[in-house]
Amino acid sequence: MAELLLRPFAAIGNLTLSGLESLGRAWRLFSSAAVSIRSTDVWTPLLLPQMAKVGVASVPIALFIATFTGIVMALQASYSLTGAIPPYFVGTLVGKTMILELGPVLTGLVLAGRVGANISAELGTMRVTEQVDALETLAYDPLAYLVVPRVLAGILMFPAVVLLAISIGIAAGWFTALQLLEMSSAEFVKGLRIYFAPWDVWFAVIKSLSFGAVVTGAGCYCGLRTEGGAEGVGRSTTRAVVTACMIILCLDAFWAAVLL
Amino acid sequence: MDRRREVLVGLVVVLGIVAGVFGSIWLKGGWQRGQTELRTAATSVGVLVPGAVVKFRGVTVGRVESIEVLPSGEAVMVEMKVLPELVIPENAAVLLAPESVFGEWQAEILDRSEFGLPPFLDYPEEGVLPGAALPDFSRLTATADQIARNLTVISERFEVAFNEETAQNLKNMIDNMGVLSEGLAEIIAQQTERFEQLAEGVDASAQELGAAARAARISFEHFDSLLLGAEAETMVADAGASLRNLREVTEVAGSSLGDLRAAAQKADSIFARMDGLLTMLETPDGSFSRLLGDPALADGAVGTLAEFRALLADIQENPRRYLSFSIF
Repeated sequence: MAELLLRPFAAIGNLTLSGLESLGRAWRLFSSAAVSIRSTDVWTPLLLPQMAKVGVASVPIALFIATFTGIVMALQASYSLTGAIPPYFVGTLVGKTMILELGPVLTGLVLAGRVGANISAELGTMRVTEQVDALETLAYDPLAYLVVPRVLAGILMFPAVVLLAISIGIAAGWFTALQLLEMSSAEFVKGLRIYFAPWDVWFAVIKSLSFGAVVTGAGCYCGLRTEGGAEGVGRSTTRAVVTACMIILCLDAFWAAVLL
Repeated sequence: MDRRREVLVGLVVVLGIVAGVFGSIWLKGGWQRGQTELRTAATSVGVLVPGAVVKFRGVTVGRVESIEVLPSGEAVMVEMKVLPELVIPENAAVLLAPESVFGEWQAEILDRSEFGLPPFLDYPEEGVLPGAALPDFSRLTATADQIARNLTVISERFEVAFNEETAQNLKNMIDNMGVLSEGLAEIIAQQTERFEQLAEGVDASAQELGAAARAARISFEHFDSLLLGAEAETMVADAGASLRNLREVTEVAGSSLGDLRAAAQKADSIFARMDGLLTMLETPDGSFSRLLGDPALADGAVGTLAEFRALLADIQENPRRYLSFSIF
């Protein structure tokens, strides 16, 4: 009976301890990776391939998502803004939404699925096949070799991808407004410019920087923590995507509360 | 392979930077090099935000750069960047107001003489334009709500005061006003008729006065002509001579009247004597008694006597009838 009563508390305690343990491990991993940045000769040659892999290869899917997001935003804005609301508010809604929210967040979530899963699966496979141990045996710093170039590539490339996605999303919304909503360019541009503030772009860049670090960092952390063969790789991949998505949404709210 | 990768990465980075930087510049309204800075001070700026458009005669000529409350707290300083070639009116002021009903605000440069309604703040610093902010829609809504509440109170009070008795009194008052109006209309009609008659009389009098004036003018003209013809002296001389003759005649008449008065007195004495004589004649033994005994003769004598008395009385009363004088 007493065991039955204590079991929920034990579960909560176990969850708390495991969470704190994960945080501690993550802190140790990324603090060690920050220290490993000094090993520039290790990670510098790997940075460009990782930038291409994380950034360039992600551009098509990011632009695809942004294009349809812009189209849907314009159509839904036109559907919602009826009556006395002037049509140029479609431009305002598309611009503001794409810059402040949908551009960075949707791109981050999509890249969490693509980049985070890729990194986690790659590093998890290396872990279960003991390639990471081999690097340590060969006196390579696995963090400088595996984590630093990927995280730096994510931090550097995510803003570029997000800015491109925002531009394409707005352009798609503009095109939709012209072709399907019978609006003029002047109206749409007026709506875009009315409430535009340069700080909005900086806000999007700051968010995308953090999202890039989170997606690649979660992939690295979960990949390096992989155990149990191919099944473990699958679990760590899933965990990496879920963790990255959750942190992205939490960071989204955090930056909105702090910066806006 | 590395070269292609480098190009691709570089391309994505450059495109991202270009999209961010040039997109921001384009959305902000373009390059702002060489723009003129304008400043205005107002007691409030409503919901104006940095980046809001600055308009002049309805055309966008710049944007609001910064908004800050002055350290003294008495005003808000708004800095704007406008086109360098823009010629600001000498009596310029800045009106901060909503651009539309949807809340976006703008700063409009205008001639203060053309729009002097709001109380512009004249900030005592050179180069700072007077500024004023129109009330926000929310304030107007709040004011309208207050007005609606007041109207509700008034209507409730009116409802209390305006009962059935009041309505009946009002109806009676309106009826009385109708009767009064009819009476007034009748009086006015009567007065109008009288005024018309009076006007006709005045018109006739005026015509008569005009005729009299014309006659007087003619007389005066004749008089003037007489005066001019030097006949007045002759007339005066003739009039003097006539007066002298009249005085002499009057004197003669006075003496004649004295003689006539003496004759009348003599006649009175004669009549007295005749009266005595008649008394004697009336005695039965007198010779005249027999005369009197004849009725026809007596009647004739009596009538003659009566006529004689009437004659005498007429002579006494109207001596001029029996005395004629000829002056000329």
